Amino acid sequence: MTIRFHRLKPSGPDHAGISRRMFLMTTAMAGVTTSAMIASTGRAFAATLDQGESATLLRMVQDIYPHPDLLAVSHYQSIADAVIANAENDAAAAKDLREGLARIDAQSQHLFGSDYIAIPDPDAREGVLRKFQHDGFFQGVRWTAYFAIYNNVDVWPLFGYQGNSVEYGGYIDRGFSDITFVPDGPSLAERMAEVQG
Amino acid sequence: MVVIIGSGAGGGTLANELAQKGIKSVVLEAGKRLDTSDMENDEWTMFQKISWLDKRYSAGGWHGAVNHPTLPAWIVKGYGGSTVHWAGVALRFKEFEFKTKSTYGAVEGANVEDWPVSLAEMTPWYEKAELKMGVTGKTTGMPHLPWNNGFRVLAEGCRRTGRTDYNSGPMAINSVENDDRPACQQIGFCMQGCAIGAKWSTMVTELPRAEDSGFCEIRTDAMALKIEHDDTGKVTGVLYADSDGNHHLQKARIVCVAGNSIESPRLLLNSASEMYPDGLANSSGQVGKNYMCHTSTGIYAVMPEKVHMFRGTSVAGIVGDDVKHMPERGFNGGYYLEFLSLGLPFMGAFLEPGNTGWGRSFSRAMEQYDHMSGVWALGEDLAQEQNGVTLHGSELDQHGLPVPIVAKTPHNNDHAMTAHMVESTSQIYEFVGATDIYELPPYPASHNMGTNRMHADADKGVVNAYGQSHDIDNLFVSDGSQFTSSGACNPTLTIVALAIRQAEYIAGEMNAQNI
Repeated sequence: MTIRFHRLKPSGPDHAGISRRMFLMTTAMAGVTTSAMIASTGRAFAATLDQGESATLLRMVQDIYPHPDLLAVSHYQSIADAVIANAENDAAAAKDLREGLARIDAQSQHLFGSDYIAIPDPDAREGVLRKFQHDGFFQGVRWTAYFAIYNNVDVWPLFGYQGNSVEYGGYIDRGFSDITFVPDGPSLAERMAEVQG
Repeated sequence: MVVIIGSGAGGGTLANELAQKGIKSVVLEAGKRLDTSDMENDEWTMFQKISWLDKRYSAGGWHGAVNHPTLPAWIVKGYGGSTVHWAGVALRFKEFEFKTKSTYGAVEGANVEDWPVSLAEMTPWYEKAELKMGVTGKTTGMPHLPWNNGFRVLAEGCRRTGRTDYNSGPMAINSVENDDRPACQQIGFCMQGCAIGAKWSTMVTELPRAEDSGFCEIRTDAMALKIEHDDTGKVTGVLYADSDGNHHLQKARIVCVAGNSIESPRLLLNSASEMYPDGLANSSGQVGKNYMCHTSTGIYAVMPEKVHMFRGTSVAGIVGDDVKHMPERGFNGGYYLEFLSLGLPFMGAFLEPGNTGWGRSFSRAMEQYDHMSGVWALGEDLAQEQNGVTLHGSELDQHGLPVPIVAKTPHNNDHAMTAHMVESTSQIYEFVGATDIYELPPYPASHNMGTNRMHADADKGVVNAYGQSHDIDNLFVSDGSQFTSSGACNPTLTIVALAIRQAEYIAGEMNAQNI
């Protein structure tokens, strides 16, 4: 038998449009991102990024961890805002970020003759980013996004993760063994019998 | 006075065993005091709170030298040591795993040797360890734990592929109330520290009992810097730093080193003197060599329906069918498959560690999280002399000690075994309908072994069959760094069994005035 080695699944189409889960998401995220969402319209980023750079950053964050069916654009905007806020306090980081975004656009022009955000194919955009994935500015954006998505208690339910359980008495009465597509495990009597005698 | 360095499976057990015999000890624990109230159900919070994060470098040919450059190992700094983090798997070595040189013969590029103890000699000590720790199974009569979703998927795949050795134990997690500790509530987060004490750890059992006996003092925030000796070569005490950086000398009749397989050899090397220029107990030259951490990989399968693998114990079941020596498979030694849940944050960090873990396929895999079941596969890691702990030439830590460099390069045996692990696990999950299977590279090691190896021959090992150094009678090693070979199984039960046996030996030698 050969190994079926599906390490990374080929990319299929992203889901477009606003799903029911995305509406739930917007509600769930309200407490966390309200300020960012409100601020995002009228906010001046001139000190750090211009409008074009901000748009490139937003697209970049979305392309790093694309979950268009789960996460609202406003959530990605809040991540971009966090990246900008960090840069505002660190001149060297701000310079790295601006230069990095410029290199992304230059590479996009070189390969596709358009700015990064104008490349319609998401795999092509990802390919542009791959060239910069070992750079500090890229990893700074990436890890900010990682923590804001996968280490965010408000996002966990969208991925089916329930997080903290001890305060609810664990899962012993909350579905630790509730699936039906495989047989049940042994009963207590069976488990007792196998260790005694 | 016995001075024990480290409060984990080896040091914590030894302290309590000695205390129950009325032998006084001081335990020097580098980390802070912890108890169950510190244990939170959050992966990153607990990682930050309990991990050993002092500066270390990861080196050699394994991916972690690039992807985890300052985290070669994932172990605990605190009261209870890595028993706070361990998942509770309490397996015994197989007979052939104590006799690897006799069984495998000479292996090119490896430094395989036999232990100076056998399974027959260890069996009564394993039984004492199982009773102490409340290990589910025949020794205690405690039933194995109920099967959770993730393990039921794995077990059904095992059944359909003709496997027979798969079960939800032996685990040192209470399936029923036992030893003043409650039964498991299937909370999950076992490796973030059990919040109710259902899982055995020295934090909840051995250390408080040793302190209550009146024969043991445990000093936390006490970092051992150097072991001192006299003109005859016997060790006399341990220099340590407290939390304010002040140095103290604790005098000792006997010193037992149990700081895990990085710190233990590091301390012996840092204790070099005019009499022992290569470090203490190092006439064999084997201190810091033969570092082993199990050949391992994570394998996660996407199932057709939701699994919610995070519900319940983290390691909820063990598959032992491949723990056998079958050279026709193309590698020496065997391996276990252990169902292991990861939370969403750690899945995001370990699915594809390093700079490349992002993008469309990564994100799509993460969206399948609630449909996943998976294993941590772990197998025998052959000792190689060049894998080991050395001291940085110039860089010092916060105590002024050279930073340890932990080098690990896989042997070809590891590559062949890993391929077999992936193939077996893929088959098992495909027989229950898996649609995708993801292979994760090794995590920073929690199973660290071999850097002060046992050997009958003083030229080939650091300590004898009781963990007593060949060179210095009153210097002992009491942790997993004693291991001559790694075996396939999780090391804790063997560390505890060896510590119970060592306590008996130390008591006898003290009574006989030999040390």
